[in-house]
Amino acid sequence: MDELLEQFLIEGRDLVADANAAFAALQGNPADAGAIDAAFRAVHTLKGSVGLFDMAPAERLLHATEDGLSLARKGETRLTDVDVAALVATIDQIDRWIDELERDGALGPDASDIAEGLSVANAMDGRAESAPDWITALIDRQQAAMRDSEMPLVAFRYVPDSDAFFRGEDPLALVATLPGIVALDILPAAGQWPALEAFEVFSCVMAIEGLSSATADTLRPFFRLVPDQFTLLSAPTDAADAAQGVAEPDVQAAAVLRVDARRVDALADTVGELVVAANALAVLAERADGIDPPLALGIRAAQADLERAVGAASRAVSAVRLVSLGPALRRLPRLVREIAVSLGKDIRFVMTGEQTEVDKQIADGLFEPLLHLVRNAIDHGIEDAADRTHVGKLPTGNLTLAIGREADDVVVTLADDGAGIDRDNIRTTAITRGLITAEASEALSDAGTLALIFAPGFSTAQAVSSVSGRGVGMDAVQAAIDRMRGRIEIDSVIGRGTRFTLRLPANAITTRLLVIDVANDRYAVPFDQIAETVRIGIDRLAPVGTGMACVLRDRTVPVLSLAEMLGGTDSGASPVKLLVTRASGDPVALRVDGFHERLDAMVRPPSGLLANMPLIGGTTTTGDGAVLLVLNMAEVVG
Amino acid sequence: MSLRIDGLTIHIVGNSPVEDAELLLSALQRIPDATIDLSRATRLHSASVQLLRVLAPPTVGSPSDPFQATFVFPAVLNQ
Repeated sequence: MDELLEQFLIEGRDLVADANAAFAALQGNPADAGAIDAAFRAVHTLKGSVGLFDMAPAERLLHATEDGLSLARKGETRLTDVDVAALVATIDQIDRWIDELERDGALGPDASDIAEGLSVANAMDGRAESAPDWITALIDRQQAAMRDSEMPLVAFRYVPDSDAFFRGEDPLALVATLPGIVALDILPAAGQWPALEAFEVFSCVMAIEGLSSATADTLRPFFRLVPDQFTLLSAPTDAADAAQGVAEPDVQAAAVLRVDARRVDALADTVGELVVAANALAVLAERADGIDPPLALGIRAAQADLERAVGAASRAVSAVRLVSLGPALRRLPRLVREIAVSLGKDIRFVMTGEQTEVDKQIADGLFEPLLHLVRNAIDHGIEDAADRTHVGKLPTGNLTLAIGREADDVVVTLADDGAGIDRDNIRTTAITRGLITAEASEALSDAGTLALIFAPGFSTAQAVSSVSGRGVGMDAVQAAIDRMRGRIEIDSVIGRGTRFTLRLPANAITTRLLVIDVANDRYAVPFDQIAETVRIGIDRLAPVGTGMACVLRDRTVPVLSLAEMLGGTDSGASPVKLLVTRASGDPVALRVDGFHERLDAMVRPPSGLLANMPLIGGTTTTGDGAVLLVLNMAEVVG
Repeated sequence: MSLRIDGLTIHIVGNSPVEDAELLLSALQRIPDATIDLSRATRLHSASVQLLRVLAPPTVGSPSDPFQATFVFPAVLNQ
C-alpha cells in the first residue's frame, strides 16, 4: 500500500476519534468552548488530509462542517443538540469513507450524494437554507424519537396525489407496511388544511411524514407504485449511511473491533501450536498403552476434549482471519485497463464475487498470480480487434473473473473469449525447448498438455512483449498457487477462449498431512495433494522406457521412487506402497516405504537453506516435537 | 357502513372503509358538537383520518389496529 495512504488511514482515524471525543463533550454541553475548539482543530486537519486523496465529497463536507464550527467558535452561532447530532453523522461518514478508501481505494459512486444529503441535513451548513423545510420541521417535531433511537433513522415524506382516494388507495395502509417506523405525522401537504367550505372529502390533501429505523434501500421498494410521491432522506443523527443505502451488513458498528492483522496472525500461530500440542497427547497415549492402559485411556479422553476445544478455537480464528477478496483485488480493474491500453486491445473486464471471504493468507497471495494470468490472457489469449473481427467476433474482448465458494474451497475462474490454446503448438514448443521428449508428448493427456504452459521456461509467445512473454511467469503462477496449496485447471477451446480455474483452500491455518516413511526418514504430504494411497504387489510394476509404471484403474500410471528423488534408495519391499498424486495434472505414483498417522498441523513456509529446495513446501512440528519436512508434490512430480 | 350515531356521539365501528369519510362528514355537519368515539374502531381509511385532521372534532379512544393506535392517532390528536 502507498505509504502516504497508509499514514492517512492511521492519522485520519485518529482525527475522527478526536472529533468524536469533542462531539461527546458537546453532547453534554453544546456551549463547551474547549470542545468546540478541539472539534474545529480535528475537522480542520482532517479536511487538509483528505485533500491529498481522491475524496472530494469528503473535503466538501468537512469544509462545510469547519465553517459551521468556526461560527460557533467565534460565538456567532450557538450549537444545538441537532447540530451536534449532524456533526456526529458527518464525522461517521468520514470514518466510513476512510474505510472505503482503504478497502476499495476510492469512495463509492454515491459519495457526492451522501455528502449532499448530509450537508443539507446539517443544520450548521451554510447551505442549510436549501434543505427541504419539511425535514428541518420533522426533526424539530421528532427530537425525542431521534434521541431515543439507537439506530440510524431515515426520514420519509409521502405526498399521495389528490386522486389517491378515488383510485381506491389508502396511503396510511401503505405506510403501515413500512418496517421500522418510529414516528409519524399527518400534515397538510400544502402547508395548511383547506377551509371547510373548500374541502373535498375524497380529495387527498395530506402528507405523511415519519422516521424509520430501516434503511433507505429497504424502504424504497414499498413506494415502488408511487415513486414520484415520496422522498427519503437521512435524518441527521447517525443516519447518513442508511439513507444513502451504504449501510454495511453489520449495523452494530459498536460491536466491531478493529484489530491489527498481525495480532490475528499471532493468535493463529498460537492456535497452530495448540493443535500440535494436542497431537502430542496422542503420541503420549500410544506410549502409555504399553505401560499403564487406564492412564492411556485417560490421556485419550483428555486429548479428545482438548481437540474439540482446539478445533473450536481454530475455527474461530479462521473466521476472524476471513477477509473479503475485494480489497486485495481492487487494483485489478484499473490494471486491466492499463494493460489493455498498452497492448492496444479493447477489453471488457467483469469481476464478480470479489466479496467472497477467504483466509487473509489467500487474499494476500492471490493478487500476484492472478495478475499474471490476467496479463497473459490479455496479451496471448485475447486477439487484437482486427483478428477478432476477421473470425467473426466482436472487436472488444471479454475477460471475466468470477470468485465463489465451493465447500471449503474458494474457486477463482478467469475466462477470456480469445483464441484458445493450441495443443499441438504447446507440444511442439515444449519439445523444442527440451521440456519434454517427443515420445512423452504423445502420451500426454489433454490436461497434461495444457499444464505444460506452467512448466518453467515455457512460452508460446512468438513476440516477446513488455507485458508478458518473457518466458518467466506462468511457472511463477503455478508456484504461487502451490504455495497456497491450491490447484489450477485449464480449459481451452480453440477459437472460443480459455478458462483458468484456481481452487484454493478458503481456510488455511492448519493443513491435514499424511506422514510417510521414505528412505529411513519421515516426511509429511498435504492431504489435498494425495489422490490415493495404494499397495500393490511388486510384480505389478513394469518397466516402461527408462522408468517404471503400473496399471491403476485401467490406466497406466508412471511410478517414481520418492527415495531416489530425495537422495536415498528404495527398500525394494513388497507389497509396494504407492502414493498417487495429481498435483501436476496427470496421476503419478510415488513409491514410499510406509504410511503413518494423519496430522492436522500448521505448515510454515520453508526458510533458510530449505527455501532453496523446491521439493520442500514447508515444515511442521509433530506432536513429539520433531520437525517434519512437508513435501510439495507438484514440485516432486513436476 | 360502520358509523353509529348515538346522541352527540358518533361511533366508528370495526374496519372503516373509504366511503365512511363522506358519511362522517355529513354526520359532523348535522351534529357539529359531536364527539367521535373510536374505541370500537379497528382501522380507519386515510380519507377519514384526513377528515378528522381537517375538522378536528373532539375524539375519544383510538382504533385497535396497533399501527393506527401507535402512530396515526397520536399524530391526529396532538396537532
